[in-house]
Amino acid sequence: MTNDIWIIATAALVAASCALVGVFLILRRQALIGDAISHSVLLGIVLAYLITDSRALPIMLGGAVIIGLLTAWLSDSLHRVGKLQSDASIGIIFTLFFAIGVILISLYAGQIDLDQECVLYGEIAFVPFDTIYIGNLAAESGFDIGPRAFWGIGIVFTIVLSSIIISFNRLKTIAFHPSLALSLGINVIFWHYFLMTLVSMTTVASFDAVGAILVVALLVIPASSAYLVARSLKAMLWMAVGYSQLAVLIGYALAFWLDSSISASIAVSAGLLLFVTIAWQQVQSQRRQRQPIDSL
Amino acid sequence: MRKPIQPLMTYSTISHTTDSSSSRVLKNLFSFIGLCILLLSFSAQAQLKVTTTTGMIADLVQNIGGRYVEVTSLMGSGVDPHLYKATQGDLRRLSRADIILYNGLHLEGKMQDIFEKMARKKPVFAVSSLIPRTQLLQHGHFPDPHIWFDLSLWQQAGQRVLQILQQQDPKNKQAYADNAQLYLAEMQQLHQWIKTQVLSIPPAQRILITAHDAFGYFGRAYGMQVEGLQGISTASEFGLQDIKQLKDLIVKNNIKAVFVESSVSPRFIQSLVAGVKAEGHNLSIGGELYSDAMGQTGTPTGHYFGMVKHNVKTIVDALKSTKPQP
Repeated sequence: MTNDIWIIATAALVAASCALVGVFLILRRQALIGDAISHSVLLGIVLAYLITDSRALPIMLGGAVIIGLLTAWLSDSLHRVGKLQSDASIGIIFTLFFAIGVILISLYAGQIDLDQECVLYGEIAFVPFDTIYIGNLAAESGFDIGPRAFWGIGIVFTIVLSSIIISFNRLKTIAFHPSLALSLGINVIFWHYFLMTLVSMTTVASFDAVGAILVVALLVIPASSAYLVARSLKAMLWMAVGYSQLAVLIGYALAFWLDSSISASIAVSAGLLLFVTIAWQQVQSQRRQRQPIDSL
Repeated sequence: MRKPIQPLMTYSTISHTTDSSSSRVLKNLFSFIGLCILLLSFSAQAQLKVTTTTGMIADLVQNIGGRYVEVTSLMGSGVDPHLYKATQGDLRRLSRADIILYNGLHLEGKMQDIFEKMARKKPVFAVSSLIPRTQLLQHGHFPDPHIWFDLSLWQQAGQRVLQILQQQDPKNKQAYADNAQLYLAEMQQLHQWIKTQVLSIPPAQRILITAHDAFGYFGRAYGMQVEGLQGISTASEFGLQDIKQLKDLIVKNNIKAVFVESSVSPRFIQSLVAGVKAEGHNLSIGGELYSDAMGQTGTPTGHYFGMVKHNVKTIVDALKSTKPQP
């Protein structure tokens, strides 16, 4: 039972962080940046391994965060400086990084198992077993404070949430009226990079906790569902978080019922919620179209 | 099981005339089912719950533990351990278990780190831990994890399982020892049988060509040269040079058959066969070998001995035969 609670809690934090960041990505038309980072981190892992000759998790995470940042920053710069479309620039940067990673592996690390799947991506079902123990284990003098992934993503969620609360007005102005923001003296470029830093941090921490497919799904789907319904940025953020939490609960129940993969089930339920929202909107709009005729 | 059902049937025929007969029969049936569940749960409580990663380990535990253990394995038949994905039920199977046993030697990949951490709170053991390093095949830094193909190594894994079961459940110590003695003796006989079987293949043709490098221990223990099309990890690719060398080897030694594996795609082996045939040499696919997972439960290859016998028969028949296999 405690295991289930840890899993749901970790998934809920991942979902909330991804949904919050995802809202800004959707508004900036960079929704697939999470997918891009999931590929380009290969280069970060390989470089970190080649420099330190170790496959320890903190080193792998460090390499992944740095390359994640570079992916987000460079694709944003390519879009603004090179005047390329933002989806094209994301595609250019991540394939480039991924390909360099593949070449480096075949040159220097062909004999060992070194890929995202094996050294970075976590499995959410095993989150409760990978705990942090404080104190001396042999003497049983310490205590268990819970899963490592939970605390990692907990810290990231706190950072994301507090950044959005503190800089909400500025982020809002930049998202909808970039030129107004510029004329108001807001450092637009700084906030672009700040947002990309949040994205990179969130995705890499979430990869470690729950694996790649769920993160990509949670970055895009809850924010898209909220985009369909919400009337303001604040409402969109709230609704994205709401959708993501609902997806986690339904998904976990689905996984329990079908005895299937937890992360895949959560991703599927997020998608189902989106389709239900679209269907509901269609019904609503048809009813609205009919109403004037009735009243005549 | 049949006895309690019998009176229920007669009861239902006797009370056929009364109105509420069907509901009473139903009630009776329900209470009977309830009793069964109760009995089952009682008997399950007395058993030691063991969860294993591969089916091979589950089979070993079942044979040594006998009726004192309840064994479940996470990876079903035909699942490549490299590509295994956990489900929600696997979490329950792991957290409910009294003992968790895994292969080790990185067969389970990143899961092994989790097992090592779980060992702080729970009895979690690697069955390969008693085998001395000198008896393991090394690929670079890392040992080959496919130890179940050398029955002498798998006997050591059996000893380890016996040791763990005795440690965790001392009151059934003697029963475990008796079971293990019987089972491991049988395994020793099978070990000898494989040796004589392989000896019946002409020496020049004792070459086993498969899809990936899983049969290293088999080759070393029973005197066969083993060549794999892919490397140790099923994820690695092969080069054009490797294919050419394999072709030369096949033609030079007049090898009659190569083999596909149950958990690896047969595509590459099929293209190798087509390539060699195009050069006028007669090569066929000798059959399917079980490598990283056993067959379906309930079939002859669904348990360890059956799987080993199937593999050996397939290999020997195909390499010995004078006419090509269909």
